[in-house]
Amino acid sequence: MASHRNRSVRQILARLHARRVLHAYLFIAPVIVLFGIFRVAPAIQTLLYSFYKVELLRGRFTFIGLENFTALLTDEIFRKATVNTLTFVVTIVPISAFLGLILAVLFNAKFHLKEFFKAVYFAPMVTSTVAAAVVWWWMYNPQFGIFNVLLKLVGLPEQPWLMSSRMALPSIIIFSIWKTLGYNMIIYLAGLQAIPQQFYEAATIDGAGAVKRFWRISVPLLAPTTTFLLIYNGILAFQVFDQVFVLTGGGPANSTNVVVLDLYRQAFERYNFGYASAEAMVLFVFILGVTVVQYVYSKRFEVTY
Amino acid sequence: MRGAKALAIALALLLLSPALALAGAAKTITLWYPAGDITAGAAHFADKTLFADFEAKNNVKVEAVALDYDTMQQKIFAAAAGKNIADILFIDTSWLPGFLKEEMLEPVADAKAKAWLAAVSPEIKELSDYGKGRMWGYPQYGIDVYGLTWNKEQFKEAGLDPEKPPKTWAEFREYAKKLTKRDAQGNITRVGYAIRHVGHPHGVVHKHFWAIYGAGAALIDNPNTLRGGKAMINTPGGKAALQLVLDMLDVDKSTSLNFPDPRAAFLKGIASMQISETVSIRGRQPKEAPELKWGMALPPVPKAGDKPVTLLGAWLYSVPKQAKNKALAWKAIDWINSQEKDFDLCKKYGASPRYAANWDKEPFKSDPYDQGLKQLYPSGKKLPINLGLNGIMDAMGGAIQKVWHHEASIDAALAEADRLANKAIADAAK
Repeated sequence: MASHRNRSVRQILARLHARRVLHAYLFIAPVIVLFGIFRVAPAIQTLLYSFYKVELLRGRFTFIGLENFTALLTDEIFRKATVNTLTFVVTIVPISAFLGLILAVLFNAKFHLKEFFKAVYFAPMVTSTVAAAVVWWWMYNPQFGIFNVLLKLVGLPEQPWLMSSRMALPSIIIFSIWKTLGYNMIIYLAGLQAIPQQFYEAATIDGAGAVKRFWRISVPLLAPTTTFLLIYNGILAFQVFDQVFVLTGGGPANSTNVVVLDLYRQAFERYNFGYASAEAMVLFVFILGVTVVQYVYSKRFEVTY
Repeated sequence: MRGAKALAIALALLLLSPALALAGAAKTITLWYPAGDITAGAAHFADKTLFADFEAKNNVKVEAVALDYDTMQQKIFAAAAGKNIADILFIDTSWLPGFLKEEMLEPVADAKAKAWLAAVSPEIKELSDYGKGRMWGYPQYGIDVYGLTWNKEQFKEAGLDPEKPPKTWAEFREYAKKLTKRDAQGNITRVGYAIRHVGHPHGVVHKHFWAIYGAGAALIDNPNTLRGGKAMINTPGGKAALQLVLDMLDVDKSTSLNFPDPRAAFLKGIASMQISETVSIRGRQPKEAPELKWGMALPPVPKAGDKPVTLLGAWLYSVPKQAKNKALAWKAIDWINSQEKDFDLCKKYGASPRYAANWDKEPFKSDPYDQGLKQLYPSGKKLPINLGLNGIMDAMGGAIQKVWHHEASIDAALAEADRLANKAIADAAK
């Protein structure tokens, strides 16, 4: 029996080897193992925790079914954090994509010091979010910050920025747009440069102006790039944390509280790991849902050239 | 053969030498404290000589490690869960309920607690006793008592007596109006009174505690109960406390949302009055505003004859249950909190002592700041110890911010805060 099993295993290995699959699996094995340990296992653990009351220090896990999820439905702070997160996503994703596209079109032309300015726009992307947020915190300072100095110079009233419940979220959104703009610009630029020039030449011969060429050729042929950016930026925007933590800590009065910050607080300030896990699962479902919808819908705009 | 034996002995000695060396080396115990100027006393841990005598007598090394204050509470919890935590924790008392909820701390032995409570001054007893003589740590010298501090030069400039601070809310509003300065466009360049309205909600509550409690409101009905209870936020007193600052913002225009750090504004001379930890002003003023002449008094009360209330807080030396060297940790704590060290260290660092007997000695006996503190202490009240304190503070801090930012009416904000606080109390009691 055992020898029969050994023979079968040997046969499978031989077949895999013949197909050179074994080597491939061996090469990717370290990544798969590490991904499993550091990504998949914690994700499964989070899913399990979401059905438990977790008391880590006492090592006590009490199964409570869907109680964490039902509690979320009536949690006003979580509701506020969800609304803030959605506001952040629906604002930052299209605006930063649109501005990135405009910049990409500008940088697609030839002009003096182009590469320098490209680097300037891309620099925020490679800067640490925390470090940049600290600098912006000072720029937003109502007394000493550069923004109010500029407003004063042009005769406009000074603003409280991060100090105001109404202005804090828009202030974080402005920072986040600045941070992601360069990346969107570079991706769009790559997309624009991949569009064959003959389309533009043919359109020009047919009498299409620059604006018409942009809307009729560039925008449709950039649809796969746009889809990628919407999904990628959407996923990142749902997970927003660093800049909120540094700039406002979720305040004032929860006006900038977001889901990831709230689950962090539930886990590490209130020690409700089960509840925090339920919040993480809700966020996961949100991200998955939006990504699937965007992906399916984007199939309609697929292009080949 | 003899050569082989000698070689074997030499090899054995070589292998044993690290163990022998370790046996003679000092044992290390760790202490975690907050980095920066979060509390005046934390900076003393950077002094390498602080535990020198203890280290020499006990062949032990006390390694003090500074942690970022904002994430310190979370790091402590994660370290406890990972069973890789410091032997001594220097913690903010407002974190204590959260740690107690998780049964994370070792209690002070009953006999030691009894001796401590009998020897220290009343305010230290108030801060140390968590009900029926139970203690979870020793408050450090130089405790935080919140007081009104004012700029004497600016009082003079505004025609006010620099030695007479406002005693009632009406006086307080009047003084603040007189002290406020504006530029040609009407923008406020100096506030009469600076308020804390942003940052961690706990900090917002700390700095408005005097008005909430002074007006007869409270965070919870029974402050000395760990589980259960009822929030006392949505009361006439709570409403009056919020209305006071709202009027100063909107009617008097003697304070502003644009001066969010009261202590920094006071030290920079752009706020004439502020209410926060006096020990912080005492510690920072010589470096940041050496010319500043300031006074210190109890916060004002709603009307003449009312009893003033102010916040009393401290940082505690405590030992986590997961500590690896508990016996040595307690030994080090007992040593640094002894009457003798209390005197030596307070004298060295200019801090206020804890032992009643030390108050009668020089330099504390004739130090005007220390004697000033003695006027504030009797009105000091510590935060409730309820396990839901985190949630109560978040709720109250949120209400304060919403009202002062004109996001909600006082009634609506306090009703919401009351609901959230009661939910936090109930959740923590489960």
